Amino acid sequence: MSEITSTRAPGPRGRASVSDPAAAPARPRSSLKTWGPALLFLLPAIVGLLVFRLIPIGWAFVLSFTSWRIFDDIEWVGLANYTHILTSPLSREVLGNTLWFTAMYVPGVMVVSVTLAVLLNNSLRSSAFFRGAFFLPYITATVAVTLAWRWIFSTRFGLLNHLLAQVDIDRIAWLADPAWALPAVAIVSVWKDAGFYMILLIAGLQTIDPGVYEAARVDGARTFRRFYAITLPLLSRSLFFVLILALVRSTQTFEITYALTNGGPNRASTTLAFYIYQNAFVHFEMGYASALAYVLCFVIGLITLLNFYLRRRWVHE
Amino acid sequence: MKKTALCATALICLAGAAVAQETTLTYMLWSTEQAEIEQAAIAEFEAANPGVTVEVQAMPPSDYWPRVSALAASGDLPDVMAMSSGFVQEWAAAGNLMDLTPLIGDTSLEGYFESAVEIGQIDGQQVAFPQNWVAPVLYYNRTAFDAAGLDYPSADWTWDDFRAAAEALTIDADGDGTPEQYGYWVYGRYAHTDPWVFRNGGRFVNEDGTALEINQEAVNAVAFLASIVEDGFAPRPLEQEGIRQQDVFGMGMAAMWVDGSWNIDNSRNLIGDSFEWGIAQVPMGPDATPETGVAYAWADMLAVTTDSEQTDLAWALVQHLTGPTLSAVDFTGGKVPAWTATAMSEEWLGRGQQPDNMELILEIGTQPLYTGFTPNWSAWRGYAAAGSGGLNGELDEVFNGRKSLEDALAAATAYGNDILSR
Repeated sequence: MSEITSTRAPGPRGRASVSDPAAAPARPRSSLKTWGPALLFLLPAIVGLLVFRLIPIGWAFVLSFTSWRIFDDIEWVGLANYTHILTSPLSREVLGNTLWFTAMYVPGVMVVSVTLAVLLNNSLRSSAFFRGAFFLPYITATVAVTLAWRWIFSTRFGLLNHLLAQVDIDRIAWLADPAWALPAVAIVSVWKDAGFYMILLIAGLQTIDPGVYEAARVDGARTFRRFYAITLPLLSRSLFFVLILALVRSTQTFEITYALTNGGPNRASTTLAFYIYQNAFVHFEMGYASALAYVLCFVIGLITLLNFYLRRRWVHE
Repeated sequence: MKKTALCATALICLAGAAVAQETTLTYMLWSTEQAEIEQAAIAEFEAANPGVTVEVQAMPPSDYWPRVSALAASGDLPDVMAMSSGFVQEWAAAGNLMDLTPLIGDTSLEGYFESAVEIGQIDGQQVAFPQNWVAPVLYYNRTAFDAAGLDYPSADWTWDDFRAAAEALTIDADGDGTPEQYGYWVYGRYAHTDPWVFRNGGRFVNEDGTALEINQEAVNAVAFLASIVEDGFAPRPLEQEGIRQQDVFGMGMAAMWVDGSWNIDNSRNLIGDSFEWGIAQVPMGPDATPETGVAYAWADMLAVTTDSEQTDLAWALVQHLTGPTLSAVDFTGGKVPAWTATAMSEEWLGRGQQPDNMELILEIGTQPLYTGFTPNWSAWRGYAAAGSGGLNGELDEVFNGRKSLEDALAAATAYGNDILSR
């Protein structure tokens, strides 16, 4: 009985018994044998991760305390970049635009993707087609579809204003009016991403036991009641996942802004990610751009933490 | 055995010497089309310099500047690089561009446009050398002028003459409130607005380019343009959203337009024979003096970098690519060769094509020129991927009737000075 005192499961390491001193030295050799090949195979990924991700992330933090125009010398400026970001009216305007975009994009994409998911969560043949159709924008080249949207939004010759004119609504300068440019970016972003979230939510809907709906129907619950009392609570874990993704994505919008409005008019649709790009690769202010990137990192981290804190209040575990 | 060893050693030494004579000169530029144009000239250079290979790397501007910036950071800049007038000051200040003055020595530069050569001079050093230059011009629709019974723009045109023409050329035939043809078309972009400012003696920045100090002449010039829009002789920029700005004139939507001479090529292709058109100088403003009323022009240049270890050869390549080697057909549209003889050739003047008065651009090259560039110009002026902001964005707010000129210029000045002081 006393021979085997280890509680480890049998296996390469579990076989070793602490009451067997002769077996103890074999452990490191066994570990190396196990981990050596694994490390060898992981090495390219680890090196790639270090060289292209972790070291640049760390280096960007150092750079955020410098003034560095890439083709010029590096100058240590301490907290000056962060102080400037916090006090500059432009940074505040950009941060405001980012929050306004998030406020439009996240609810928009959640409502549209939930609606699509609920409507298409059935075994009809046409649903399979529509799932594919709604997913298509997500995998289509962003710049290409955005150029098509530019034509749709064109003030004088755009499809949207033409349709509005049919119901006697004056034409809107969608991309040239500061009040409409960011909503236009949000509309295209929702259109492009909703299909992706829809697929995630359909996967969530298919885990709900049909018997629950059956019981509710027997009890006389109508469609809206079933959606509100059954679908939403049982889908809440998927919804939480989609919410986190959508929030993070909303702070990182770049390609659509670049191709649709170029951040304009007069910076009205310049959000944080686009502003970082401008500073890093147009003005080559790499130190300032690095500081902005860490501000963005902080904002995303804060929102995610807040979400995890609020999770227990509405996510059905 | 000893003999064999000696022979082998001698052969290796000879081979080594041969390898040592092989030289590679690196050259980077921001246009793949231009690289194709220069292929023959580069082959000619290699033939004239046995053992020299020119390694050319060309890419679009959006890739070019990040790439060369990264190369500058690692000390691996090419021997020769294309240099823009907009970036030459900051690149020279960072010590990346070699002063060509000692290399030029006694070489005569008489064959070049003097004003274009001067654009590459920063703080008394020749840090870049022009290959071609461009200038904004006033494009006008002769067919529309004829229909309105107007004389074509002349050298002594005043701004009042221009306004009267813009009014007469604005035609709303169907009376729906949106003219089918506007007299003019303008927005806040540098090539559209700044020629008017500089021709009125206006300046956006102080003399040493360290701060935005928008003078009264500049304010008056922008106010003049805003009044043209306000009076309905030009569309508001927001109305034109979705139409390529360079196509507005060619599509007959505006009878006059100011933009860079490089758009001559696009206009030729777009207009074809659908109407007659010509070019004129932007009229001199009422506030300008002979000293302050200057023409706006800038150059595409080549520079030898301070990372180059073969500067003589690099300078020889620059001379080869900026001199008479390239022919007139290598300069598309209104890009003016820096080498005057090529610019004055019949081929470049485009006989038999519109416009029939290309000499006008050459006249601009003989005048005092002003670029208005400073370090970080693209940020405060609002250019390329930053084009929606800066002065560009603020002026569009004025032309769109959403902001007063005073507020817009105050905001642009505050933003610009924040950029320049950083």
